[in-house]
Amino acid sequence: MIRNYLKIALRNLQKNKRYAFINLIGLAVGIMGCLLIGLYIWHEWSYDRFHEKADRIVRVTWEFNFGDVLNETALTGTRVGPEFNRRFPETEAFVRLLKYPRVLAVADKMFEEKNFLYADSAFFTVFSFPLLEGNPATVLDAPHKLVITQSMAKKYFGSQNPIGESITVGGDKEFVVSGIAADASDNSQIKFDFVGSFTSLNASKEEKWSEANYLTYLLLRDEEAIETLQAKITAYMQEVGKDEMQLTGNSYTTYQLEPLTKVHLYSQLDGFEPNTNVVYLYVLTAVALLILLIACVNYTNLSTAQSAGRSAEIGMRKVMGAGRREIFLQFISEAFLLVLMAVGVAVGFTILVLPWFNQLAGKEFQPDLLLSPFIFLMLLGLSVVVAFIAGTYPAVVLSGGKVSKILKSGFSFTGSTSLRKGLIVFQFVVSIFMIIATVVILQQLSFIKNKDLGYSREQVVVLPVDAQIREQYDLLKNALRQAPGVAEVGGAYEEPTHIGWGDGLSTTEGNKRITINALPADEHIVETLDLEIVAGSNFTRSDIQLADPARGGDNITYTYMLNEAAASALGWTPEEAIGKKVAKGREGIVRAVVKDFHFRSLHEPIGPLVIFMDKRLVGAMFVKLSGRDIASSLAQLEKIWEQRVNHRPFEYQFLDENYQAMYKAEQRIAGVFTAFSVVAILLACLGLFALTAFAMVRRSKEIGIRKILGASVQDILALVSKDFVQLVLIAILIAIPLSFLAVSQWLEGFTYRIEIEWWVFLAASVLSLLIAFLTICLQAIKTAYHNPVKNLRSE
Amino acid sequence: MIQLQNIFKWYNTANRPTFILKDVSLTIDEGAFLSIMGPSGSGKTTLLNIMGMLDQPSEGSYHFMGQDVFNLKEKQRKELYKQYIGFVFQAYHLLDELTVYENIETPLLYQGVKSAERKAMVGDMLDRFRIVGKKDLFPSQLSGGQQQLVGVVRALISKPKLILADEPTGNLNSTQGEEIMQLFQQLNKEEGVTIVQVTHSEKNAAFGNRIIQLLDGQVQD
Repeated sequence: MIRNYLKIALRNLQKNKRYAFINLIGLAVGIMGCLLIGLYIWHEWSYDRFHEKADRIVRVTWEFNFGDVLNETALTGTRVGPEFNRRFPETEAFVRLLKYPRVLAVADKMFEEKNFLYADSAFFTVFSFPLLEGNPATVLDAPHKLVITQSMAKKYFGSQNPIGESITVGGDKEFVVSGIAADASDNSQIKFDFVGSFTSLNASKEEKWSEANYLTYLLLRDEEAIETLQAKITAYMQEVGKDEMQLTGNSYTTYQLEPLTKVHLYSQLDGFEPNTNVVYLYVLTAVALLILLIACVNYTNLSTAQSAGRSAEIGMRKVMGAGRREIFLQFISEAFLLVLMAVGVAVGFTILVLPWFNQLAGKEFQPDLLLSPFIFLMLLGLSVVVAFIAGTYPAVVLSGGKVSKILKSGFSFTGSTSLRKGLIVFQFVVSIFMIIATVVILQQLSFIKNKDLGYSREQVVVLPVDAQIREQYDLLKNALRQAPGVAEVGGAYEEPTHIGWGDGLSTTEGNKRITINALPADEHIVETLDLEIVAGSNFTRSDIQLADPARGGDNITYTYMLNEAAASALGWTPEEAIGKKVAKGREGIVRAVVKDFHFRSLHEPIGPLVIFMDKRLVGAMFVKLSGRDIASSLAQLEKIWEQRVNHRPFEYQFLDENYQAMYKAEQRIAGVFTAFSVVAILLACLGLFALTAFAMVRRSKEIGIRKILGASVQDILALVSKDFVQLVLIAILIAIPLSFLAVSQWLEGFTYRIEIEWWVFLAASVLSLLIAFLTICLQAIKTAYHNPVKNLRSE
Repeated sequence: MIQLQNIFKWYNTANRPTFILKDVSLTIDEGAFLSIMGPSGSGKTTLLNIMGMLDQPSEGSYHFMGQDVFNLKEKQRKELYKQYIGFVFQAYHLLDELTVYENIETPLLYQGVKSAERKAMVGDMLDRFRIVGKKDLFPSQLSGGQQQLVGVVRALISKPKLILADEPTGNLNSTQGEEIMQLFQQLNKEEGVTIVQVTHSEKNAAFGNRIIQLLDGQVQD
């Protein structure tokens, strides 16, 4: 029986090639969209779940309030791990991690490595990163032991066995390779190329609550223990706050526990890499389902539309004894067959677009992933579901007709035309919604990209500064300044794109204290970043002398610059602030107030900031280029670098690229959204195209008669497009308020955002109407030009 | 075999009933060859469809082989239908996507006949009507007469006791028409199959052994 159904289905597809093709492509594109988004979501979802003990691992984050601002950070001091492990029996082990870009050298090979971690000895037993060589329990159990990944082994040692070989880290320390790890999978919040033993760090010798630079993970004995442990930690830290830190009033410090598997999707606090917002995954799931629904709707619409042509067959089958069930099964199996073919095509499509999608979504999916049994089963399940969604309605309608009527006059749908219209409206609501959402997202991103942040970030090259470079900082800086094409060189602790250093600042008069972000910098920071001084002046010669490291640590005097927000937080106008004495560790005067600039993501408002001169803390050098020929300027910089710095290679970044990187999540979502809104509208048009075709066939007699009566081509076009255009208009009315609500909601997440402009809605409406109209015309114009006599003859 | 009593059939158009059949009572014995005649719109096809259980009257009762058809459950009625009734149409209504062989086989599929048995039954029929050579052709490759022959064979495959034919020769030329009529006559005489046909042609009606005239939904005696 099934074989008979499939045979008939196959022959039917062959007979209606165009219809089958439209359905096949539509479904395939819909399924491809689902598949791609499915892969993406699955990957995000699988984050960190591969660790065998994932359920029992928690990340410790720090929450504190030392003044009047609540601070939360994923970074903790060195004390947290060992202290909690000693004190609380719920914990079994701890791992502290420090990510620290290092320059590594073996023989004549030297590279700067960004993915260099320091980790406690339990690292490979708590986490399930497989070791190819070495014992997980002992590879990191002593200072200067180093585990490297397989690909790094190849990079530094080629085919030679690296175990026992030594690598020079940071120019002076010799590490011995004690193990080889498999390359870390990319669905992990911890990514590494190298893991050095934590005990190699000087910082490991002393346990401190402050100086939070480390991620701390705890392995619990029992996953249920997390709440008990949390309560104990809160209680314990209250004691510590009172007894050790002398905190009073509202000030407090505590630690929060986050289950490892929740960090990537739910945590607001980034560790060594940005987290994903789970809301984006929900949005993507919705997009995937909507696209699939649009494709299903096409199938449903086309099947019922063409059912008129099959009424004789259905009637006859009933005469021969087929029941409702048999007819229903026949049409469902027809849908299933088509969907199976579509799945095949979709897998092909997916493999074709995968490289492009990877780029868009920032993933590294391999095509062979699609051939895994898991995906295969999922696709099979998906096929059944899609076949039922798309095929049920036509099957019910077609199997339900009365035989005597079918045989006499064929199928006439009174009920289903309104459903069909509803479905078209639905498709266009989704399409218009996605067009509007895409435009607004792109606008906001371009707003971010071009936003005047209050400092210049174009053509600014960022160079790393480490302890050895600091020794000859001024020499190197002066050499760079004199290079052709260089406008200015300045330095600071970190990049102005994201200033993370949190601190406190107090006034001498009135003894007011505020929580503040701080940026240690050199004397040229104002001119290098084009900061605008609203009151006071730039650092003076005497300021520079007072802060000269040569005077020795204790004799340095700081000079401060505040931003407007900091001045107002201290209760001063910019003018009032000048010359006031403030203290951040040590006392100094306020030399200038600079205009507020965005030193955090645009998701957040601008907070208080203090800039102070301390060249010993410079960690990055900013080289502002002036010339047009950036390539030759870079070549100059490289030449100077190589003359003066021989312990690390010349590696640079551009400030504006680093800025862009902060909005990666948004950029990816924008890319995916753009792609899929194009797909949605294409699918909707495909459906409209085919439906118009059927309407033309149905109305060929009417059109013929009208033409004989003198109707022009335009009249005919108006006649047939009227119905469909009406539907698109209804869709516009529904889509506009929906999309307005959705994009407003999204924009709420940005403190600095665009206004939603009315023309976006107008443009999306006009665009969708135009596309729909053109689609209809493409089909209708043929009929309209057709010789009416022919139309009538075929009746 | 067939007992129709006081059959009415009407449609409501603009709140007023339009009668298709008005008080038709009719008894047909097993082994009869009945021709229903009458002008277009007189209700011939509707009557035939009611006999064939494809349509239901607005009023009246119908006994088929002693069973009260309209008081049966849908499933039982379907069984009765599958077992005893075969239909032949003016427009043949062969399934275009199926070959001759598959068209003939389809009713057996719906009756759940096993594959081997199906093969034997279809083979027999193809043999008997000398269309073995055409079994792999599609309907569009056959002449009208040949198509109607396949239509009749398909109606016969489940060995029905009653064949209902709605203008079976309406689309055929006279030679082809006569061949089909002779076939009906032969089935009726040699195998005792009851035949009810709707026809416009006096000549075709004469092949049967009883004629009734319908006019405006009423039987004219």
